[in-house]
Amino acid sequence: MNQLGQRGPQCAPRGSRILKACLSIALALCAASCGSRARVTIAVIPQTEGNMIWEAAHVGAESAADHTGASIYWNAPTREDDSEAQIALVDRVANGNYQGLVLAPDQALSLISPVRRVLARGIPTVIISSPLPIPAGGNLSYILNDDRRGGQLAAQRVEELLHGRGTIAVLGIDPDVTGTMIRDRALEEFLSQNAPQIHVAARRMGSFNVPHEQEAAEDILRAHPDLDAVVALMSSSVDGTLSALATSPALRRIKVIGFDVAGLPSFERNPQLDCVIQSDTRAMGQKAIELILARRHGQSAPVLVRIPPQVITAANINSPQIRDMLAQDWTLGHTHWSSIE
Amino acid sequence: MKHASMLRRRLLASLLVCLLLALGFAGLRAWLQNPRRGLPYHDSFARGNADEWKALGGTWELVDGMMRNESDERGAKLLTGSLYWRNYSIEADVYLLGISGDAGLVIRSGDEEEGVNSYTGYYAGVRTLDNSLVLGRAEHGWTEAVKKVSDPAGIRPFRWYHLKLLAYGCQIVTAVTPASQAQATTLGITDSDCIQSGRVGLRSYSSGGIWRNVEVRPATHQDLLAMLNSSASRGEPVSSDVLSQDFASIESRLQQQAEARSSTDTQSIASLRLASFTKPTTATVRGVVVLTAPVLFVQDSTGGVYIPQPRAPLLKVGDEVEVTGEVHPGDFSSTLEHATVQVLWERTPMPPLSVTASQASTGKYDATFIEVHGRLAGKEHGPGNTLILDLDEGPQSFRAILNPGRSDYLFGKLKLNSTLRLRGICVVDPAFTHNLTPFVLLLRSNEDLDVIAGPPWWSAGHVIAIVITGLLLALAGVVLYHRVENWRLRAILDERGRLAHEMHDTLAQSFAGIGFQLQAIRNGVPQEQTALHQQLELASELVRHSHQEARRSIATLRREHLETEDVLAALGLCARSMVEGSPVQVVTERRGDQRPLPLRLADTLYRIGQEAIANAVRHADPTLLTVRLIYHANSICLEIEDNGKGFVRSSGLLGFGIRGMRRRAQSIVATMQLRSKPGAGTLVSVNAPLPPRATLASVLRRFWEYFLEHWINVRPARHADSHSYRG
Repeated sequence: MNQLGQRGPQCAPRGSRILKACLSIALALCAASCGSRARVTIAVIPQTEGNMIWEAAHVGAESAADHTGASIYWNAPTREDDSEAQIALVDRVANGNYQGLVLAPDQALSLISPVRRVLARGIPTVIISSPLPIPAGGNLSYILNDDRRGGQLAAQRVEELLHGRGTIAVLGIDPDVTGTMIRDRALEEFLSQNAPQIHVAARRMGSFNVPHEQEAAEDILRAHPDLDAVVALMSSSVDGTLSALATSPALRRIKVIGFDVAGLPSFERNPQLDCVIQSDTRAMGQKAIELILARRHGQSAPVLVRIPPQVITAANINSPQIRDMLAQDWTLGHTHWSSIE
Repeated sequence: MKHASMLRRRLLASLLVCLLLALGFAGLRAWLQNPRRGLPYHDSFARGNADEWKALGGTWELVDGMMRNESDERGAKLLTGSLYWRNYSIEADVYLLGISGDAGLVIRSGDEEEGVNSYTGYYAGVRTLDNSLVLGRAEHGWTEAVKKVSDPAGIRPFRWYHLKLLAYGCQIVTAVTPASQAQATTLGITDSDCIQSGRVGLRSYSSGGIWRNVEVRPATHQDLLAMLNSSASRGEPVSSDVLSQDFASIESRLQQQAEARSSTDTQSIASLRLASFTKPTTATVRGVVVLTAPVLFVQDSTGGVYIPQPRAPLLKVGDEVEVTGEVHPGDFSSTLEHATVQVLWERTPMPPLSVTASQASTGKYDATFIEVHGRLAGKEHGPGNTLILDLDEGPQSFRAILNPGRSDYLFGKLKLNSTLRLRGICVVDPAFTHNLTPFVLLLRSNEDLDVIAGPPWWSAGHVIAIVITGLLLALAGVVLYHRVENWRLRAILDERGRLAHEMHDTLAQSFAGIGFQLQAIRNGVPQEQTALHQQLELASELVRHSHQEARRSIATLRREHLETEDVLAALGLCARSMVEGSPVQVVTERRGDQRPLPLRLADTLYRIGQEAIANAVRHADPTLLTVRLIYHANSICLEIEDNGKGFVRSSGLLGFGIRGMRRRAQSIVATMQLRSKPGAGTLVSVNAPLPPRATLASVLRRFWEYFLEHWINVRPARHADSHSYRG
């Protein structure tokens, strides 16, 4: 009793200090959480960082985020076929403090489980460019390149070039990228309905390996020297085909219709390149961020948007619309520079 | 004495328990090894149950109430029964699915492994190759006897045969009756160095097969003779209900195989994916059947193809086939619709491609037979009673689907979080995956699934069990320690008792004898010799005094009263025996709620009390001696009070007895006080802590004290009762 009595007066300030400390920690935590709520971070994971075509998506995403004060976490594998690295990034988003995910999948099937994990954590997710076999709805939306339209545009161009009669080859069919399969089917359907005299002499599976694609193109050109045109459904197939044609002067009459070339297409350097059907990755990046932010603010947002690709030719490459689509304007962002005096 | 009898009783009880356990074990062993245990046996295939069967090789599945092995594997076995079955027969209807193999029954089987003749036992089967009934002994090798069947049609595939195999002593007999015939072909052997016992099995060799109506019965010598003598007839010929769906295909298959020649314009299965989407294309591919049910898959070195509703004869896994059909290219594999399947020849089943789940989830192995590892995350029954397993490997999740039949057995056996190795057809079609996982595996049979490792031991349940076990072990250790301490104390007390008896029988008796002799001498000495009388009187007094001391010591060493009485009663008894014959009055007093005391505490209090009583009797000349025992909530107090002459306390007066009492008090963490005044008597009090009573209130109080002391750093007022004497 005596002992307790002696301790009593010393205990009161100690208890009050503990209470104050607890309150301070609670306030700090509250402040931290309030602060983090104000700063929305959205992860954007394109197919690769090794291809310039996705830089436009980065610009689009930053542009949309800049208006709202959101921040963008941007990262991707160095190669398009490194789906393991992309899965690791998606898992990082699932386990991290992100308020949204924008993903351009490298592989349609292997990303099902990781994306389902992200959705299970309630993170709004937008798949861009090429679809996954998961139905849209809930927290999952799609902003896709209209690959069917792209295939039809390629077929129309082939029909115009060949005047309804001729032989073509299709390269770069990659089942990992669902979009290439859709392009291929749309191309073939359009030609069989509208230009039955144009027949597909050869079709080849594609990969992201340019030397491999060049080898495939050379095989086809050797087997079918009478080809009138080649439709290359992937960026690597376009590069491989142009390289193969460059080494065969006798085949310079063959025209190439390509898809998704990195950077500005060089029609002067590659006269056989007739046109490029380019995905509008900038619009995809921008709309994906806007969609996530709209959903966060409780606004209604579409679950599926298809963005039509643009046909780039030597004639329209310098048009404002094309320049704007391919522009990589890095003056946006949260950092504001000033000169040092 | 009492302790010894208790020990004897315990020993007897232990022996009895051991005897009962031994008898129980012997009884269990006799029951397990009974050669008639489980007999007679009849299969439950018709009810879709075959849990008791264990497969070694093959693709054993229950289809339409019959056991079916569609594999052409050499020596695929399915086993059941007891290793101790000795004289018995097995019979079944057997249906051959291959044109160049055999199928039949195994008896007295043991030491089985996966392999062609990797078992010890007897096998009887029907063989198409030489139209014969074959009977042989396998012992990880093979010796056989062969007899041509009497059926003019010979042994043919896709036809039912009734096969019976009997073992009695070292005589093994088999008989086969073709469908719709009563004529049996019988073959018997006597094996001088026979295999004595073993289980039963179904077995096929280079051919698939179907078995039904499997029956096992104990056999007698009469059964053996009857079987040997009744080769001419068998009561019930097998009905000729050849599987209707197979019948139409039998002849075509035989014809196809006889005329097997492949087309020259076949193409690789992978190239089908490049076929036109818009123009119908017909293609021919050649490959090996990797799955027949629920759907047909054929595979070549470039990939696999799905063939829905084919026009095909009866197919088995491992058949080399040529398929012609309409190509429908898919993203990852193709489909051949309206296809015609031609069997080229039978082959052993294709081995699986070993891949990771991440590789399989790319779709590259769609429609291909693969082997993959995974951790079992869930299991459920799907449509049609299929077994659906949810698995994870690394970042990927996938599913495995197993047809009903023997999968029920697996369902109960598989534990969540086990690591499994699965072999099956990888399918990415959304019709199977429902877009939940990148791919599913279609397993062919239970044998396509192996448990590599059980669930990790650090599951929540196991950790809790380990903690509880640890606590129980600690508790048992503490209890054991205290029990050992008690045993040690009892041993000391026993030894003291023994010494007391020794002293009583030797020292005390000698003093009594000496006193008696001195008295006799005194009586004999004349009264005039006063000096001598005085000396004898002094010697007698010394002997008497020494005798009393000896008796006191004996009383101190004895412990019997502590076993029967509590401390207070024992001390009262002790005091009364010490003052016996004198006018000193002994009073005992008890206060508070009496409760049992630990043995060590009781013994120490008793020793201190004895010493205090002895001191009072010896030095204080009291007329009243009070022994008082006071029970407090957490302590006990022993007081010995006399109304004697008292003494002045000084260090010189602290003799050996008092120092000994203090030492004893310290050993039980007790405090001892001695109060005395000349002419006012003496009070000796010993205050010892008691073990706390484990009540809810006491537990809460201790927790609160711990909280105050360790968290708030306030030391609560408490009694100095460490109870260290308990340990």
